[in-house]
Amino acid sequence: MEYRQVAAIGGKGAGPGQFGASLRGIAVDAAGNVYAANDSQITLFDAGGRLRRRWSTSQPVHSVAVAGDGAVYTGQIHQIEIFDSAGTLIRTWRDDALLGRVTAIGFVDGDVLAGDATGRAIRRFDSSGKFRNNIGRDNPLNGLLIPNGVVDFGVDAHGIVHAANPGKHRVERYTPGGELLGHIGHFHGTDPAGFGGCCNPTNVAVRDRIYCTEKAGPRAKVYSFNGELEAVVASDVFGANCKNMSIAVDEHGRVYVADTVKLAIFVFEPVAI
Amino acid sequence: MSGDFSRRDLLHKAARGTVLATMAGGAGFLVKKANGQVVWQVDAARCLNSRLGEVGVAACNLCTTECVVSLSAVRAVNEHSRCGRCNICPAYFNITSAVDQRGLPSEKLCPRDAITRKPIGKADPEDPANNFYEYVIDEEKCDGCGKCVMQCKEPLGLGSIALKIRYNRCVDCNRCAISKACPKDALVRVKRMFA
Repeated sequence: MEYRQVAAIGGKGAGPGQFGASLRGIAVDAAGNVYAANDSQITLFDAGGRLRRRWSTSQPVHSVAVAGDGAVYTGQIHQIEIFDSAGTLIRTWRDDALLGRVTAIGFVDGDVLAGDATGRAIRRFDSSGKFRNNIGRDNPLNGLLIPNGVVDFGVDAHGIVHAANPGKHRVERYTPGGELLGHIGHFHGTDPAGFGGCCNPTNVAVRDRIYCTEKAGPRAKVYSFNGELEAVVASDVFGANCKNMSIAVDEHGRVYVADTVKLAIFVFEPVAI
Repeated sequence: MSGDFSRRDLLHKAARGTVLATMAGGAGFLVKKANGQVVWQVDAARCLNSRLGEVGVAACNLCTTECVVSLSAVRAVNEHSRCGRCNICPAYFNITSAVDQRGLPSEKLCPRDAITRKPIGKADPEDPANNFYEYVIDEEKCDGCGKCVMQCKEPLGLGSIALKIRYNRCVDCNRCAISKACPKDALVRVKRMFA
């Protein structure tokens, strides 16, 4: 399997559709619209990469996810702000203890999952915001090993949570209840099939496969659920100092990667060989 | 007689006072000098090995080769509060070396084997990755070559290791040979402060 770059969205700047200082999270909805969590705002692009709208969040935003009903969840420090698709604030969940720096958000069985980088765990809440359980917290190290300061995960069609555990060079599988089922991945400094450096992968997305990004050198890769490397999506295009590159996948298999140095979203599509 | 004694006494006291004042002044000067002494130090934000943005280049070892002290006065220092305590530390391991049976790189990075790695708490025998590790630099072995510093810096590491001049080794030669050779002007004059 190979990929080719088909678009670049955004870029660093003050113009419409550009990002000022940070690009920390991205999400893609069922219609292919692209949501960017940048600076203290959400920027929405259509499937063609054209700017549709943007709206402010009350704090710098670290993550974004779109629920099945179109609600836009934004992860911040100690809170999640929930907007409708037009950007109107619906409600705010605030929890100083369970929501530290919220670097990922996902959904499973009607519940909301929040990646809490401060607590090194994924917090599971019901749809009203009531806490249910932790994922990745109950181990001898009291949490995921994230020297990079980011908790990220994806949820597959069966409701299994695939969480990056970069300090172990793994993507771990959990039930929504928090039971560890297994993992893929291992360390290797030169073989692309492994995860290199001190702590990779940093970010994960899941659809039909497991998609992840690494830092130093930055690259995006695709694995089967069995842990076999299927493709290196890209490497050379990213800024050398990129880290914590958010990744998303649409229903056509297009891969979106947030370059945290160039402040651009690079879009790749699979090429039939 | 009394006048002679008085003069002698006065001269004696004056001389003694002068000596005491000189000694006190000297001691005060030394304390003041030590406290506010202007010394050479490495500016981590300028040093090629630790400054951000320099990736894919070899570590600079001029601190090792240029210092007039036989084993350089520069040491790599790990700021433990910033260290990620990783299972696989790029400053400890040569992370591109072959992977051994434990799943770890088979070679160390430091040419003088100056870094020790030990588990914090009890290591999980079933899964050694299931642990934090402490990395301690032996300053008797380290010669400030900067290899570990280069590997520790962002984005590969967390930048907890930096080069520092150790004042118990530095001879403060004022025309620091490293500063003349440093391509990034990273050797700077700073006031040495004591807690």
